[in-house]
Amino acid sequence: MTIVTGNEARRRAQPAGSSVPRKIWEHRADYAYVLPAIAVMLIVIAYPIYYTIELSFFNTPPGLQLRDKIFVGFNNYTAILTSDVFWQVTFNTLIWTIGSTLISFVLGFAAALALHRDFIGRGILRAILIIPWVISAVAASYIWKWIYHSDFGIIGAVLVELGLTSRPPNFIDNVSTVLPSLIVVNIWREFPFAMIMMMAGLQTVPEQLLRAAKVDGANAWQRFWHVTFPHLRNVSTVTILLLAVANFNSFIIPWIMTGGGPSNASHIWITHIYELAFGRQRWGVASAYSVLLFLILMTLGYFYVRALSGNERKEGNA
Amino acid sequence: MSIAAETAPRGQPRRGRRIDGWRWGGRIFLVFMLLYTALPMVWMLSTSIKSGFAAMQFPPQLWPDQPTLAAYQKLLDPQNSVGQDFLRFFWNSLIVSTATTVLSVIVAVPAAYAFSRFRFPGRNFLFFAVLLRNMFPAVIFLVPLFILMRAIGLVNTHGSLVLTYLTFGLPLAIWLLKGFYDNIPVQLEQAARIDGATRFQAFVLIVMPLSTPGIIATAIYSFIGAWNEYIYAYTFLSKNEQLTLPVGIQRFFSENTTDFPGLMAASFMMSVPVVVLFLLLQRYFVRALTEGAVKH
Repeated sequence: MTIVTGNEARRRAQPAGSSVPRKIWEHRADYAYVLPAIAVMLIVIAYPIYYTIELSFFNTPPGLQLRDKIFVGFNNYTAILTSDVFWQVTFNTLIWTIGSTLISFVLGFAAALALHRDFIGRGILRAILIIPWVISAVAASYIWKWIYHSDFGIIGAVLVELGLTSRPPNFIDNVSTVLPSLIVVNIWREFPFAMIMMMAGLQTVPEQLLRAAKVDGANAWQRFWHVTFPHLRNVSTVTILLLAVANFNSFIIPWIMTGGGPSNASHIWITHIYELAFGRQRWGVASAYSVLLFLILMTLGYFYVRALSGNERKEGNA
Repeated sequence: MSIAAETAPRGQPRRGRRIDGWRWGGRIFLVFMLLYTALPMVWMLSTSIKSGFAAMQFPPQLWPDQPTLAAYQKLLDPQNSVGQDFLRFFWNSLIVSTATTVLSVIVAVPAAYAFSRFRFPGRNFLFFAVLLRNMFPAVIFLVPLFILMRAIGLVNTHGSLVLTYLTFGLPLAIWLLKGFYDNIPVQLEQAARIDGATRFQAFVLIVMPLSTPGIIATAIYSFIGAWNEYIYAYTFLSKNEQLTLPVGIQRFFSENTTDFPGLMAASFMMSVPVVVLFLLLQRYFVRALTEGAVKH
């Protein structure tokens, strides 16, 4: 039995195809619920986006005296795309994003699978594995900076004790090792997120299907590949996308550990934009960078929304 | 059932061996992950109870011969300037994070409820617009927000941080909570409304209690996000007495670069509140993800 609420009664009375303003008016009470969220979002998102796009076409003097800005058309964009630093930073960003995302996902997924079966101490182990995700990235950066320290770092000391090197290696002051070293730190903080998501996903895999597959003689790998994994496709997509976006946008770890150095070897897009804006006060160029970043993220966002609305449609059919 | 019983003995030995291979692989992998996760934290703790001299020894001692709490005493002593600063940063972080959390829940709950229950025009667009917020990095918003905050007089106030933090907690909060409300049968509310409750009463008395895990998860997420946030705090606040912990610690230790025990002790104490909070409430978080977001 269904109760026809006021709104629904009115909707039913109206034939489909009534005009949009009228529909909006009919649902005016509904908007009250979302209004606070939307208002906050508008102030803090829509306005900045507009402002960034505008600023990207201007040359600005230092010090945010923005009244003196000069219109330069697409100059900022061409300046970026023809600079060597841009390509170096883009290359770093790709390695950073893809490396961190894939390894975090694989480690997190594997940990979730290994923790799925009950055993003594599982709860404690799970809790310990999640902790790095909760620790602030600032604290994590300092902890690892100390671990990598060129004179008193524990890793260097262990390598020397084992006789592998005569001097402790300098992980983060070396152009070729700095990026992988930072990726290790980033994965340390991020695989727990993939683990939590995949643990939640694993709980939705129906036990009966797995048991049925077992009865049919499927081995562990086959059960995983043909039953578990197809069930997790949606969660995996969302997790990977969220990780990719978070990594693409990360700032704290490279900023605090190296500041982008040595010689730009650990600069990624975000740290580079930050340095352009707040370090060298080139607001116009930084804004143009942001707009480019924006376009890339919108592309990623398109897939993110598609993955999410895939979820949505399934819910609707269920 | 009977088929399963029949086939079980035949398949048993082979299956048993195979599972063992995977199981051992899983165990070894978990040990590796435990070491990767825990050793840096152990090293942080071990360093934090060394003296400045002992921290700078080569080869380093894994565990100090003479453990000392001097670093902690220094940070927690309101008499000296270091302790004063640290305690003030801690207090600032607490205020900002708590305010953010309370406001997030107040704003997210009705919004998520509306997205779940009502079919108003523009619903899908607004929902995804809210979610898209997560896509964009802080840096993009930094300059315009700084100018905006200056215009409305919020620069160098904690209000500027609370307002900003609100927006990056909201998308996930709304998404999680919407999943919860989707799973609560509408019939429950309808029954309440037959009994004479208003829509609002039905919401507060029926729906809210059922979505408690979601609300708790939302609150934890907002709190941790606000507690750990660095880049806005770094840009919006310049007065020493207003800094939050991440920025405060960074400012402090860029001046005293060699005080590693102090730095590790500060990192440890900065982590304690969020780690404890999360460990106490993590089952709600996992449940919220399972029921709210992942279920399909």
